[in-house]
Amino acid sequence: MTDAAALSSAMEDYLEAILNIAERSGIVRVTDIASRLGITKASVAQAIANLKELGLVKQERYGPIELTQRGREIASKVQQRHLMLKRFLIEVLGVDPKIAERDACLIEHAVSPQTMEKLMSFLESLQKTPGATEEGKEQGTAMPIKAKPLSDLGIGEKGRVTRITAKGSIGRRILEMGVTPGSELSIVGIAPLGDPIEVMIKGYRLSLRKEEASYIMVEVL
Amino acid sequence: MKAKQVAKDEQKLVLALIGNPNSGKTTIFNNLTGARQHVGNWPGVTVEKKEGELLWEGRTIQVVDLPGIYGFGVHSEDAAIARDYILLEKPDVVINIVDATNLVRNLYLTLQLLEMGANVVIALNMYDELRAKGADVDTARLSELLSTPVIPTVATRGQGMKEIISQALEAAKAKGRSPLRIDYGREIEAEISDIERYLSSCPKLAEKFVPRWLAIRILEGDEDLLRVIGGFCDLDEIKTRREAALNRLESIFGEEIESLIANRRYGFIESVAKEVIRRYQATEDQASISDKIDRIVTNRYLGIPIFLLTMWMVFQFTFKLGDPLTGLIEGLFERLGELMGAWLEGLGAPKLLSSLLVDGVINGVGSVLVFVPNIFLLFLAISILEDSGYMARAAYIMDRFMHAFGLHGKSFIPLLLGFGCNVPAIMATRTLESKRDRLITILIIPLMSCSARLPIYVLFASAFFSSHQGLVTFSLYLLGIILAILMGVIFKSFLFKGESSHFLMELPPYRMPTLKSTFIHMWERGSHFIRKAGTIIFMVTVLIWVLANLPIGVEYASQESALGRIGSFIAPIFKPAGFSSWEAAVALLFGILAKEVVVSTLGVVYGVEESGLREAISQNWTPLSAYAFMVMSLIYIPCIATIAVIKGETNSWVWAALAVSYSLILGWLVAVIVYQGGLMLGLG
Repeated sequence: MTDAAALSSAMEDYLEAILNIAERSGIVRVTDIASRLGITKASVAQAIANLKELGLVKQERYGPIELTQRGREIASKVQQRHLMLKRFLIEVLGVDPKIAERDACLIEHAVSPQTMEKLMSFLESLQKTPGATEEGKEQGTAMPIKAKPLSDLGIGEKGRVTRITAKGSIGRRILEMGVTPGSELSIVGIAPLGDPIEVMIKGYRLSLRKEEASYIMVEVL
Repeated sequence: MKAKQVAKDEQKLVLALIGNPNSGKTTIFNNLTGARQHVGNWPGVTVEKKEGELLWEGRTIQVVDLPGIYGFGVHSEDAAIARDYILLEKPDVVINIVDATNLVRNLYLTLQLLEMGANVVIALNMYDELRAKGADVDTARLSELLSTPVIPTVATRGQGMKEIISQALEAAKAKGRSPLRIDYGREIEAEISDIERYLSSCPKLAEKFVPRWLAIRILEGDEDLLRVIGGFCDLDEIKTRREAALNRLESIFGEEIESLIANRRYGFIESVAKEVIRRYQATEDQASISDKIDRIVTNRYLGIPIFLLTMWMVFQFTFKLGDPLTGLIEGLFERLGELMGAWLEGLGAPKLLSSLLVDGVINGVGSVLVFVPNIFLLFLAISILEDSGYMARAAYIMDRFMHAFGLHGKSFIPLLLGFGCNVPAIMATRTLESKRDRLITILIIPLMSCSARLPIYVLFASAFFSSHQGLVTFSLYLLGIILAILMGVIFKSFLFKGESSHFLMELPPYRMPTLKSTFIHMWERGSHFIRKAGTIIFMVTVLIWVLANLPIGVEYASQESALGRIGSFIAPIFKPAGFSSWEAAVALLFGILAKEVVVSTLGVVYGVEESGLREAISQNWTPLSAYAFMVMSLIYIPCIATIAVIKGETNSWVWAALAVSYSLILGWLVAVIVYQGGLMLGLG
């Protein structure tokens, strides 16, 4: 969370928007971000330049915008936070989904980082309380508790897959190899040079780069 | 295609083998066909096609080995070939090899085959390993649940092969299996039926394909499949329906449809697995031995040293053991040439004819065969590495390093072998699954300074840089590596722009390689080289001989010969690089045959023996132009054997032509930069 907290909330919004667009259509262009956030292309271009300097996105001249591994990790966390707030509003307070979506954004921006952090840990503890998310469970959408990218896990840690955030051929390949939502896995090893990692899943050993692992959201067990 | 049509008319039964990588598919193929196999390429692609024949009770059965894949989900050449073959060529029986120790993931492909309506027989392979783990499979129950025959096999020991064949023959009689139906849940089923209904209304489509399966694949986003059914249906209508379906599903689930479908399939498989796998012993001996090996081999500190040691051993095995054999073959052909020459002279044959036979034909055959020992030994080593499971670890260990240059962990071994000889190195790229990774690796291998280039460096370095020979030679090797990295990045960003490369690979348990598959693999590669590359190498060798002897009566390779004239014609091109003599140009032309020939050609054109060569060179060159020439020799055009093998491996002249043209331009450019840069620094 430290990296995410250090970024301005506007920058976080950009990262989240890039991730959302990437998940939806695969290719992210300045125009897409501008129309999603409802701002001018010029300000998007400026923001992308800043993010590039921070090493969070990469873009070749006139090419599509891509998140770096670090960028994707931060974006996933921001997205996760947003999702958690939204679900809290919908599932616990019973707010209308459309209003919840808008309010989640407003809350994220209005409150101080400290309040945000406290609120998050409160929501997390709330979810551990039995009964709190009954409604969510009935819909088959139990809130992912502390979901984080697989690339953040260390040797020996176990997790359950909650979501695959990659679209297209990488996403399909990940699924095909048996990394489907709900399946359990554990980190068996990390290559001598720090990447790729080795994972035990469905009774076999799968090796994958941290880059691919950052598309796999897991709930730590 | 034609041949297959004929075969079908004659009622020759066709069995297709399919399975995950590491499932033992190749071993089963070898067991079924023995030596009666033929290796080629699938039309228009780089993927290898293996076919063979099986004699069974007086009948000839054709066996086709399909590429090893995990499923049809990812668009790759391999998956498309397997899919189209089953869909369009309709083999009588599809034998699906399933790794019994890894049942869940392997059945994912099986399920898709069954959904397609393929006539499947399951070979439950590595059954002994499963037993050793203290478990077994209720095959009768599995067969019932999937309504498909299931035969336990141990391919490495040939167990279950007869049963597979007789079961396949049974299955072939009962044509028209009804496809497996998996329940994808109410919402998804509704969308499947919508598209299925539309597809069923397309004339003739339902006769050839299973509409439900097509509908599922369309929802999963198999764009390529749309082309296959384009002749039957209105594609725009399908696309509109698909878009609508995807929108509806996403608003319900908020998740990707691919993910939902994969999840349902795996859910189905897991419930099947739970029912059929029986564990009667809690021991996991096999796994723990593999674990123990892995703990050492991929260890943080030991992993890299062990890898480097292994590479050193492969290198030594291939070249140190192979080079004496190569020398033997060279000697043999030299002796044969001499004998032939003497015999022809005795007969009073014209000198030209004798030279054609000796310098052209015998020399040509010899230049093909000299590669054979290295290739055989290399593939012996490689198939041991692959079959044992170490190859996957090697890629795992080196991937971080290679990925920094945009390459794959598996590119390391071929590139390293390039220092020995580019020809087997290019053949070793077969282990790379992605087309992009493989082609980039093939294209940059020629920049690895092979051992045949060493004699050129030795000659020039000793003539001009006698006190710094080692340093000069080393600088050329280093230059090659740097250029390879550079070109790799360039190819990646221009030729394969946007094509993603990923690293998601199974690390199979360590297994003992079997003698039989190792030798079949070795034989197959070696003979493949002789057939594919042999003719090209032979023909170019003869062509160069002809050019060096035309017009009739001219002295071999002199300035007046056709080759000499070509040399004189192109020589001015090299003026900016500091060597514009026709001798240098002719030497480079001959170097296309094999790079070490540059040295002997210089001897011929300067009209001196090998001992006088250094003297002759130091009179005609400056240190700077000599260095530029070495740089040119390093980079320009790969030798003819390398070109031929690039053509053979990629199944296309385009890639071979690209390798030739880029290296020629790059070589000239770098040589010019070196020379002009040197002049500017006052080194002239």
